Amino acid sequence: MSAGIQRGHAATRLGRWWQDWRFHLNALAILVPVAAFPAFYHLARMDTGEAGLGAREPAIVQAGPHALRLVEFTVDPPMNAGVAGRRKVFRLALCPGCDDDIRAVHIRLGKPRSLRAAGALFSGPPERQTADMAVPDSARARDAIWLTVEEWSGATHQAQVPLAEVAPATADWLRRRKEGRE
Amino acid sequence: MTERAQTGPAAAPRPKKKKKGGMARLWLLIHGWLALPLWAYVFFICVTGTIATISHELIWLTSPDVRASRPEGATERLTPDAMIAAVLAQRPESRVRSVSWPVETHFAPEVTLSDRAGLSSTVYVNPYDGRIQGVSGTVGFRYFIRALHGWLFLPWTGGGYSWGWYAVSFMGIPMIGSLVTGIMVYKKFWRAYLNPRLRIGKGARTFWGDFHRLAGIWSMPFVAIIGVTGTWFFVEALLSDNGVSISTAGVPTVLERETLPLVAHRADLPPVSLDEVIASARAAHPGLRVDGLWLPENAFSPVDIYGRGAFPLFYESASVNPYDGQVVRLRRVADQSALELATTLMYPLHFGDFLGIWLKLVYFFFGLLLSMMVLSGMLIWTKRTARETKAYVAARRAPAPVTGPAE
Repeated sequence: MSAGIQRGHAATRLGRWWQDWRFHLNALAILVPVAAFPAFYHLARMDTGEAGLGAREPAIVQAGPHALRLVEFTVDPPMNAGVAGRRKVFRLALCPGCDDDIRAVHIRLGKPRSLRAAGALFSGPPERQTADMAVPDSARARDAIWLTVEEWSGATHQAQVPLAEVAPATADWLRRRKEGRE
Repeated sequence: MTERAQTGPAAAPRPKKKKKGGMARLWLLIHGWLALPLWAYVFFICVTGTIATISHELIWLTSPDVRASRPEGATERLTPDAMIAAVLAQRPESRVRSVSWPVETHFAPEVTLSDRAGLSSTVYVNPYDGRIQGVSGTVGFRYFIRALHGWLFLPWTGGGYSWGWYAVSFMGIPMIGSLVTGIMVYKKFWRAYLNPRLRIGKGARTFWGDFHRLAGIWSMPFVAIIGVTGTWFFVEALLSDNGVSISTAGVPTVLERETLPLVAHRADLPPVSLDEVIASARAAHPGLRVDGLWLPENAFSPVDIYGRGAFPLFYESASVNPYDGQVVRLRRVADQSALELATTLMYPLHFGDFLGIWLKLVYFFFGLLLSMMVLSGMLIWTKRTARETKAYVAARRAPAPVTGPAE
């Protein structure tokens, strides 16, 4: 059962098989997209919202009168975005009807010093917004995630939630990084 | 050396090739080795890419939903505002995120909506009466085949390019190599333009050899385009993942806090008129084509309008403040650097998507030829190159011709 390539002088059966088929084995590369498809499809469902808001059950964060649902997009530690540093993506859902009051929601690891430094801005429809939060070099595992809600009326509300509660893998990663530095 | 090489056990395939020197023979070996060890993988990339060029047309053929069919009595296409109003009348609980008008007007416009549950979906809308004709799947066929061809579905994680992107685009390099060595090896190939030869009755090896050469000389420009653009996609990924950007676009436009209107509630804001936004952008840049637009995704983001330039390989865009209609950013062809323009045209050049359906069909045809060249190359290779390599190596190692394996 030669595949067309001239045989060498392999003595064993396996050796002959290798001689015959070695240049056709790359057909197995087609298994790569087959194996990658489920994760690809899951991500597409995350993009449309069919797979839910985020990677787990959202945490309810009460910011003033607004009950916001916050969840990490993946359960992974922060990703290395090269020149953009370490990033962590979060998803947010506003309370029903709150969109009429809320102009913007910002997310930051650690307490913001001012509204101008409130962190990453959430984008998207009110029921499913996304923000790409920076995880700075100075971040610590015990830091809280701060949400700053800015209303159209000019009022602002802040709320915090422990990092370990909404992004445990990120908190673990920061803890390990700190131990590594010591 | 050359003489000894010629006395090797493998005679050159055609009589006139017997005069070939050692260099030509070496080129032939390199030509054979460039793609063969990965021939099935290259074949797979070529076939998926070929299908991708006409994926939109395949959808048009199989699904009436995506066709811009004119209803009885209708004459005019709806303005963007009228179309959106019609869509929202059918989906009252939804909001519009983006609209696109396919360049080929026989395709229905596509509107991406987000509903009260936060689910996004893209609907095909009849451009004459605004009727929602159908809903696109989570992963439509066009995206499916592009993702399969472009990055083998491998994830875009870590803020960088997918490994699949690297794995596919890298093959642009052996493709250029195959083209160059193919030309080197095919002496006076231009003669074959006038005297094409495709012998059918002389066995498979002769037929595939003739086919490989004939298809090769006719698809030289196509292979060069695919090879160069593919290689560029590889370089672009390398540059981007190492923090080198050639874009002059800068960061996304964020509206100044002061330009936002002072209202108590969002409901107090006047509704955004797409017709007015487009008119405003066209007042700033009269030549702007509108192929699609994105509505603001947050309170500080503009309406982004994009379209092809007057020269279809280039793109232009405009960002308009939705609250006051001011154009906050314009990216005309003239605003982009020469390097940037040279690199943005790589995409339409690779897809064949810039002169309408006829060019797509031309790309499809040459894509088929290229796929068949990979296949025929493999068939020829298995019958010749392995043998020739042994002979070539043996001739250079041993004082006398050696017939045994010399790998």
